Amino acid sequence: MDFTLTSDQAALTGAIDRMATQFESIPTEFDGFVLEGRELEQELENGQYFDIAAIPEMGPIAAALAVERLARLPCAVEVALSMLVRPQLDIELPRPFALVEAGRPGRFVASARTLLIVADDSIGIAHPSPDDVEAVESLYAYPMGKVTGALSIRALPAEDAARVRTWLRVACAAEIAGLLQAAIDVTVEHLSVRKQFGRPLGSFQALRHRMAECAVLAGGVRRLALKAAWTGDAGDAALAALHAQESATRVIYDVHQMFGAMGMTLEMSLHLWTYRMKALLSELGGRGAQAAAVAQYCFDNKPARID
Amino acid sequence: MDFDWDEEQRSFRAEVRTFLDANLPDNWEELAHGPGSAAQTTFSKQFCGALAEAGLLVPHWPSEWGGRDADPWTSFILAEEMWAAGEPRGGQYMNVNWIGPTLMRFGTQEQQARYIPPMARGETLWCQGFSEPEAGSDLASLRTRADRHGDGYRINGQKIWTSYAGAADTCFLLARTAQGKGGISIFLLPMDTPGITVRQIPSIIGEGDIHEVFFDDVEVPEGARLGEEGQAWDIVRLSLSLERVGIPRFALASRMLHRAVDVLKKAGRFDAGAIQQSAKAHAACEATRLYSYNIIDQRCQGQPPGPEASAARFATVNAERLVAEFVVEHVPEALAGGDALLLAHHQRAIVAGIASGAAEIQLNLIATELLQLPREPR
Ligand SMILES: Cc1cc2nc3c(=O)[nH]c(=O)nc-3n(C[C@H](O)[C@H](O)[C@H](O)COP(=O)(O)OP(=O)(O)OC[C@H]3O[C@@H](n4cnc5c(N)ncnc54)[C@H](O)[C@@H]3O)c2cc1C
Repeated sequence: MDFTLTSDQAALTGAIDRMATQFESIPTEFDGFVLEGRELEQELENGQYFDIAAIPEMGPIAAALAVERLARLPCAVEVALSMLVRPQLDIELPRPFALVEAGRPGRFVASARTLLIVADDSIGIAHPSPDDVEAVESLYAYPMGKVTGALSIRALPAEDAARVRTWLRVACAAEIAGLLQAAIDVTVEHLSVRKQFGRPLGSFQALRHRMAECAVLAGGVRRLALKAAWTGDAGDAALAALHAQESATRVIYDVHQMFGAMGMTLEMSLHLWTYRMKALLSELGGRGAQAAAVAQYCFDNKPARID
Repeated sequence: MDFDWDEEQRSFRAEVRTFLDANLPDNWEELAHGPGSAAQTTFSKQFCGALAEAGLLVPHWPSEWGGRDADPWTSFILAEEMWAAGEPRGGQYMNVNWIGPTLMRFGTQEQQARYIPPMARGETLWCQGFSEPEAGSDLASLRTRADRHGDGYRINGQKIWTSYAGAADTCFLLARTAQGKGGISIFLLPMDTPGITVRQIPSIIGEGDIHEVFFDDVEVPEGARLGEEGQAWDIVRLSLSLERVGIPRFALASRMLHRAVDVLKKAGRFDAGAIQQSAKAHAACEATRLYSYNIIDQRCQGQPPGPEASAARFATVNAERLVAEFVVEHVPEALAGGDALLLAHHQRAIVAGIASGAAEIQLNLIATELLQLPREPR
């Protein structure tokens, strides 16, 4: 048990952090639903960051740290599936990736070069042509799209499908971990500055306690996500995704409440984090499906004591 | 990063489990229900003696006091296994975790020679005399007085909620020698000193746990004071930080969660509602486990205690609550003559957010120190 990063991992996360810092601010003229991060995506491509999980000294844990860090940015880039799920497939597949569940609109579907088509227990792969997909207007702060054409889908063997599903859960949890942290950070800043009744809102215990609870949840999500990325275990992934969706549900409500009316404006941009989380709440079947996976992988034939 | 145990840690855990398997009697789970009951106190003394002989009571203590100089992981693994088993050490875990180490650091040679060896042999039970009827969360407002009298002190006042007081040999007592937060001192007080009266408080949390302790003109020599007059606050803050994350409650919570799920599965009652709640509780337990490990890791790296320890404690409260609520809703028979250890767990879980400091106090600390939100006006 050791929570320190290796020097390679620390160097990598340092580099990602420096890159991220350049994309921290929201352009002053921005008042949209989605802030796309094309420039960041290009930099990640150029630096071959999408392939870090495959580098032995880095591994999926480094990729999960990168996903978490980049999710804290206001802009949305397809990072999580490319960094964490793509390396789990034997064949080299073109990114961006996107998930299509039950034919519903999904994140990045309109621009993806590889689609993971999820239906019940099976997962198939498709490479859409531009005519097969279209962008969808939405409240979610990701570019959303849906499939309109008839795709040719190649089903993954059951074992691969199970592994992909595990890593989809890790990706979801790592992304939510970053989004939670960012939403909490901007809210703490707001509560420290905004005064009512002659004092900062953040000095009212009712709000302090709620924020503290949110922070505890976010820290738990982060730790579970990192552990799942380290073990690659289906049970760990299910626990991480469940805790992530569970915690996000609560934190989204609390942070919006604490911003008052300001949090409803596109100018304030709180939605860039909260509405990305909302898009993730329903993914992979939502909390019900994550709980079923926990029951399947953690409560079946597993000793109750730690090994 | 490495989320796995190393060989040494695995074999230490195995050693502890082997010991537990060999030394817990068949009726242990029934015994476990009253952490301060006469039956458990008697058993715990014998058990701790055997632990000491096996070198497993104080492995993290320095060798000069009977330990093996083991690192914080060793004591945490030990604590996990003990708590998961229902804490057969009873109240002696306090000696091992913080009272002994505090005496090593602040005690006189005489105090150390008198009190530490019996702790290392597993022969003695202490109680912690901090809380008072009018001083709970606001501990600094305590009123029990120790007035100078002859060569020593005369103590008057009352403590409450004192765990194990009915069976304890010695009390780690906070009493006021002057006004204000800086006017509190520590006394190491044998419980058979004349003038001490102990009354058990009937409760829903098991037999023999909490007590009232009255002090009427209790006379103690100067040598009973630990540290200087007025030093209590600093010493206590330091010694409680030795624990940092507190009891690894997630270990028993997680074990009981699995047990409750097994009960439901066997009875064909593991339905969608139960799946949802048990999974959520399991995630909370595992998050808490990682929080705690993170802090033990920081301690091993020599980092000072940080605000994450409060986060770990609150995560613990949350996990305990979810497991206890799950059991009450889905395995209600646990509280009505069902599984003895599920019952014992319930009784321990419901105090997680109160004993050793209210959860809300932890939230205050997290808000101020971790999030750096503006403080509340005083
Ligand atoms: C099983 C058990 C064993 C114990 N063993 C011992 C022992 O061995 N020795 C010992 O000295 N003590 C012991 N205690 C006492 C324990 O330390 C106190 O119960 C605890 O510090 C809280 O104090 P209180 O009960 O007086 O609650 P109070 O201080 O009256 O607080 C009640 C509630 O008010 C809220 N609250 C209080 N202050 C604040 C605040 N500033 N902000 C927001 N909310 C607040 C919290 O919700 C709190 O739970 C034990 C308690 C239990 C339940």
